[in-house]
Amino acid sequence: MTLNERDQLIDDLIEGSLSEADFLKLEAEMRVSSEARQAYYSRLKLTDSLRLESSLLIEEESEKTVSIWSGAFRVFMGVAAVLAVVFLGVYGLKDSFEFGTNGVPAEEPIATGYAVLTEHSEAVWVNQPDLDRGDLIPQGPLQMESGLARLELFSGVTIIIEGNAEFEINSPMEMSVLHGKIRALVPTAAHGFRVLTNSGDVVDLGTEFALNVTSEHADMHVLEGEIEWHPTAKQKQLLSDGQSLRWTTTGSPESVAFEPNQFPGLADFERKFVSQRLQRRQAWLDSAAALSTDPRMIAYFPMNESNAWGRQLLDESQSGLDGTVVSARHDADRWGQSGSALNFSPAGSRVRVSVPGEHRSITFYCWARIDSLDRMYNSLFLTDGHELNEPHWQIMNDGRLFFSVKKRDTWPKRQDKHVAYSPSFWDPSMSGKWFQIATVYNVEEQTTTHYVNGRPISEDRISDEFIVDTVRIGAASIGNWNEPTRGDPNFALRNLNGAIDEFAIFSEALSASEIAALYEKGRP
Amino acid sequence: MDAQKQDAAIVSLLTQNQSALRLYVESLMPGDSHCDDVAQETNTIIWEKRSDFEIGTNFKAWAFSIARFQVRKYRFKQAKDARLVFCEELEEMIAEEMTDHLDDLSGHHIALQVCLQKLKPADRDLIHHRYFKKTPLKEYAANVGRSIGGLKVTLHRIRNRLLVCVEKRIALSKEAQA
Repeated sequence: MTLNERDQLIDDLIEGSLSEADFLKLEAEMRVSSEARQAYYSRLKLTDSLRLESSLLIEEESEKTVSIWSGAFRVFMGVAAVLAVVFLGVYGLKDSFEFGTNGVPAEEPIATGYAVLTEHSEAVWVNQPDLDRGDLIPQGPLQMESGLARLELFSGVTIIIEGNAEFEINSPMEMSVLHGKIRALVPTAAHGFRVLTNSGDVVDLGTEFALNVTSEHADMHVLEGEIEWHPTAKQKQLLSDGQSLRWTTTGSPESVAFEPNQFPGLADFERKFVSQRLQRRQAWLDSAAALSTDPRMIAYFPMNESNAWGRQLLDESQSGLDGTVVSARHDADRWGQSGSALNFSPAGSRVRVSVPGEHRSITFYCWARIDSLDRMYNSLFLTDGHELNEPHWQIMNDGRLFFSVKKRDTWPKRQDKHVAYSPSFWDPSMSGKWFQIATVYNVEEQTTTHYVNGRPISEDRISDEFIVDTVRIGAASIGNWNEPTRGDPNFALRNLNGAIDEFAIFSEALSASEIAALYEKGRP
Repeated sequence: MDAQKQDAAIVSLLTQNQSALRLYVESLMPGDSHCDDVAQETNTIIWEKRSDFEIGTNFKAWAFSIARFQVRKYRFKQAKDARLVFCEELEEMIAEEMTDHLDDLSGHHIALQVCLQKLKPADRDLIHHRYFKKTPLKEYAANVGRSIGGLKVTLHRIRNRLLVCVEKRIALSKEAQA
């Protein structure tokens, strides 16, 4: 094999386009030749640097779209470029898949699970400390030590579970209960829903029933409709409204009083949940009131409906920099309180603000619900255009957080800023969930730290070359991007497809423990 | 060190070493589109096991050993539709030798930026389409009126040229520092 042949095979290997026969040839060569392996390492590094360079250039490319404006031809170019941005935004992900797998069709995004934890009241899960409202129920056995939880299965079945309970969701139409109390509400569409226990199986015939499973027996209470009881190795029996039955694990029936009240009902659950939710919200509002007197705070928008007209957004910090709502509509906040958050999905949505002054370190903080990341850049907070010393805070379509402060002009073509990307924290299975997102730009330590739900997910060091010690904001948008207006009606789409509940800027670097405390106090 | 500081230190080490970790995984499973998944999985495991790591000891060595295990685990799962997989002996060599190549990735990248500028415009354009725009080669070939085979050969030559240039620059900067 000549050197040239060898290197060509290495390139094909890295690109994933090497045939099996060639692979064996190359492998044999690499086993005996240290030079072949060195060539492999060098070519891998080269590909890696090229990919890195490409990820840096993509933003420059898209930002160019705003600088090409006047003149008929240029307007045409501008339109084409805007379309390209839209196209890339929608198909960017698909494109990169195609690139990576050489023409294999793009994969449809998938999530795993059969049910969602829609609500809970002080539920404590063993081995699943992070399981929270809106999460998909993980597969495999689950243990809830205490508390109450409501699960919604994709078949339409609603289950209320009271801890201590051990169970598993096997499919949208089947669950196993090792022990614990459950109540199941089965709609017509889910007739045939099955609950497996150690003593036998319950098959629902369309109704509401309750089960209490222990290591000794299974108790069934039919609240409405009918169920079939299939005991292990015995004849099935039918139970209807108001009937109850106990079946021991040794296989014998016993009578048990019909006592549906010992099971948490849907209405009780809702009442309990609503009152707890309101308490938690009130507790947060109390601590937020104290927060708004924090002298470090430059702007604080709780996003509540402020007046009948509803387009003015009150800044509750000491600065009083009220914002103006454009197109965005009021939405329920993270506790489900209607009208207390802003939804930025309608086209053109944004909150216009103007933040004066010069700042050194700076902290951005918000509670956001992401419905989808279908733009290439999904804005949290962007200054108009992108001028020197201005920060940009947004989410990439692959779920990475992006934060930068512009250090110098892009011309001559060279890197104009340090972009701190976090690892991806979001995927479509998290659609509709609320997250606390915060980013701290610390000039003293020369770091950018991204936080999600009170925890740091990445920290970047900023070199002396790119650190900006005077941050300016000026005119800016929450949830979108304003380009320099030069009389052109085309605009890049960067509005966040989702909602923001609270938004704050501090003119100092908040510490990790402060961000964590804000999360603990403010989580819904 | 309290848990919060330990966590912050791990986050910082993890971020600093992301590129190296990703590349290390790729070296063991080249051309496999699941490299990123395995690297991501490795991050998760590192985070879960963070209390095992003693700050001040060799983070890379520790992280790479976890990555190596994750690659094996992935292989095991994929065993049925086995792709092109290095034999164990060769994988062992790569796992060992690759660690020496992951020290100065940012220096490598800076050198590459300079070298890209030195390419002929037409060559730069081709690289631009291949890596930056991610245009399928077929489409680009049709646009410029060339065959895919021809473009592949050209791309290979450009990569060779970039490689020579990058290596030269790195050697120069090492000399300058010495």
